[in-house]
Amino acid sequence: MIRFDNVTKLYGRDTVALERVNLEINPGEFVFLVGASGSGKSTLVRLILKEIEPSRGAIYVKDTRLSSIPRRHIPRLRRDIGCVFQDFKLLPNKTAAENVGYAMEVTGQKRRAIRTKVPQILDLVGLSEMMDKYPRELSGGEQQRVSVARAFVSQPRILIADEPTGNLDPETSVGIMNLLERINRIGTTVLVATHDRDMVDAMRKRVVALENGRVVRDMVKGAYADEV
Amino acid sequence: MRFNPGFFLKEALKNIRLNLLMSVTAVTTTFVCILVLGTAILVSGHIEGIIGSVRQDVSVEAFFAPDATQERIDEARREVEGYPEVSEVTYISQAQALADFKDTFRDNPEIYQDLGSDVLPASLAIQIEDPSDAEAVAGKLKSAGFSEENLSYPQQTIERLNSVTSYMIWGLRAATALFLISSILLISMTIRLSIFARRQEIEVMKLVGASDGFVRTPFVFEGLLQGLVGATFAALLVVWFNYLFVDWAGTALPFWPISSSAVNAFFVVVVLVAVGAVIGVLGSFLSVTRFLRV
Ligand SMILES: Nc1ncnc2c1ncn2[C@@H]1O[C@H](COP(=O)(O)OP(=O)(O)OP(=O)(O)O)[C@@H](O)[C@H]1O
Ligand SMILES: [Mg+2]
Repeated sequence: MIRFDNVTKLYGRDTVALERVNLEINPGEFVFLVGASGSGKSTLVRLILKEIEPSRGAIYVKDTRLSSIPRRHIPRLRRDIGCVFQDFKLLPNKTAAENVGYAMEVTGQKRRAIRTKVPQILDLVGLSEMMDKYPRELSGGEQQRVSVARAFVSQPRILIADEPTGNLDPETSVGIMNLLERINRIGTTVLVATHDRDMVDAMRKRVVALENGRVVRDMVKGAYADEV
Repeated sequence: MRFNPGFFLKEALKNIRLNLLMSVTAVTTTFVCILVLGTAILVSGHIEGIIGSVRQDVSVEAFFAPDATQERIDEARREVEGYPEVSEVTYISQAQALADFKDTFRDNPEIYQDLGSDVLPASLAIQIEDPSDAEAVAGKLKSAGFSEENLSYPQQTIERLNSVTSYMIWGLRAATALFLISSILLISMTIRLSIFARRQEIEVMKLVGASDGFVRTPFVFEGLLQGLVGATFAALLVVWFNYLFVDWAGTALPFWPISSSAVNAFFVVVVLVAVGAVIGVLGSFLSVTRFLRV
């Protein structure tokens, strides 16, 4: 589903964010991407969205090499990938419901479908009371949940979440993780970048660990750190 | 992608409301620029009108010999009326010439007391469409049998007037063009500034899968609305100014050839509103495009 083939990403001339990364994620997999701050997790996510280009190597999404996708077809790629951004990236001039609805609007879905689907999804992330609030009126954790809702409202084939529980209390975190697992169970490929050690250890999923831009570990049913 | 003008228009109106300060700035800038541009068009229209009517007064006079027969006169008149450069020909008979002369010197009757009715020659007063044709017309009159001394045409005056007025007209047009260019720059700068403030929003829209057109359309609608509103108010104000000015000139400057026909109010409104709308649309379109490369 997603394949990194010897990918190196440099910012400027000498900041190495990723170095010779090889990674293959199969359809329907649930993968944790762990690593210290600055290890390159967000860079990897941005490469998959073709927000930035790799310096060397090739990235494939659904067997298409990203560098061969023309600019005008990038939106099509992104509609297939739901993404929860580390900094949420909500539209400040839209309410929670409108932000979620926007992800359906860009795919040209009917007004009626949007009106019925959005409240259901917001209810699922526990925000049915917050539908008409603007992002500035929401707490960090609430904004994060709007971002989660927006990422999977249009049922993408791939869901990427960059620190989806970073601002949440343990209880809500568990709720979000359960949601991600449920989404995974209906066949969606899920990639979660996180620092949340307890969560990773509890879920026993595949874990890919990054260190200074290199993949240092890749274990099925892994844990956050090497088992002692 | 479906095209739903209602959706985009609603988005645009909402954005205007939420970015009210920026919208007001854009509308005000458009208003002021179009007002200045409109005033320039107005001033140049009236000055061209005045110049036009001064030029129209240029005429050539052809005098007939005292012994010219009526046949000769009629023939000459018909011929001159056929010249394409000529707009109007008036025949002034000997009697008419004397009457005009008497009228001019009515306060000094002793000047014309002893004049016989056949002393002043009959003539043709020939109005010329374009003053630069005066010499050509004089040439034709010569080959039609009028001698140089029987022709009166203020050749030098015409030439000078002609070059001065065409410089003036070109100067006015250049000034108007300059106002137009500065309006375009100023308005599009304002639009670019307001869109620059929202570049992150544009980036987010692109990252959640919106196509360029989907992101751009509400911004273009916004630019169109701002341009239309600013330009319409300015255009109406310009036309109102024009009305007041023509009205005032009618009583204050009665001998100036100022008329409301020098400026076509409808044309001015259409041009100004179109300029505002086009700058609004193009300005937003180009500014958004700069931030779509995400
Ligand atoms: N736009 C950028 N320009 C220059 N350097 C960058 C840029 N973005 C990231 N970096 C650098 O690249 C490296 C990897 O950054 P990245 O954001 O991928 O880390 P991360 O694993 O997501 O960290 P965190 O857990 O704190 O989010 C860091 O050293 C960072 O300083
Ligand atoms: Mg990060």
